[in-house]
Amino acid sequence: MDCKQVGAALFLFFDNEMEEELLTPFRDHISGCSHCAKRMDYTRKLLVIVREKCVRCSAPERLRHRILTSMPHRGIVPGPY
Amino acid sequence: MPKDGANHQKGWNFEAAAMPFVDALYNTAYRMTRNAEDAEDLVQETYLKAYRYYDKFEEGTNFKAWLFKIMKNTFINNYRKKQQAPALSDFAEIEESFENQVSEDATRQTKNPEDELLENVLDEDVQRALDKLPPDYRMVVILADLEGFSYKEIAEILEVPVGTVMSRLYRGRRLLEHAMLEFAREHGYLREGEPAKMRSKSMSK
Repeated sequence: MDCKQVGAALFLFFDNEMEEELLTPFRDHISGCSHCAKRMDYTRKLLVIVREKCVRCSAPERLRHRILTSMPHRGIVPGPY
Repeated sequence: MPKDGANHQKGWNFEAAAMPFVDALYNTAYRMTRNAEDAEDLVQETYLKAYRYYDKFEEGTNFKAWLFKIMKNTFINNYRKKQQAPALSDFAEIEESFENQVSEDATRQTKNPEDELLENVLDEDVQRALDKLPPDYRMVVILADLEGFSYKEIAEILEVPVGTVMSRLYRGRRLLEHAMLEFAREHGYLREGEPAKMRSKSMSK
């Protein structure tokens, strides 16, 4: 693999979407190329930030209640809500 | 719907299968509508539709992805038009193929300042940057990075080829990166000697 191919595969690598047979040439290139090793580290940092710093909001309790009470089967057997 | 035994069983089966995803669906709905009330309506409608079509769900396929697909279609039908958000075709000039984009970026060097700036990114910067993304890119980033769907699952949810998922994800993450770095740069100007809380976006550089 060359620098260009490695650059194209960075997201695929971190997404676990890289083809199996490319993993070894990918790793071989990274270990011998400081430019690509740096890009790889940067990409990893970027993805960690997006995945970890983005706050997930939970569904409000009233929404759960609304959904459950709208289901027909709940009309026959009363649930906990 | 007749309240016979089969439907009764179906209801409980559906509830047990679907309710664990209410937080994931709501989070995505909230990021897409950017409004709590709309997000609740969108999720409620998604559940009603999913319940109605539960017989059509193929056993053994990904149920979470199936729910997200229903929500995506509901979102496009109800909210896209209302928001008058530009459709992807309006972004045709930036919707390049994955190969073209990557080839353009291949020569790009990671500069040290960018590396350092990344450290300055705050939680709220990520939210703001995500909110700024055009809806089609935002959706792909949410599905991949917040919900952890595979490319193939995202392709099924959005009903687009895997190549399109890759190119939108690539573009979406690059746009996100640029927006986050821009916010981080703004903090940078205000950083020295100021408490974190003073680093407000309302302060101009």
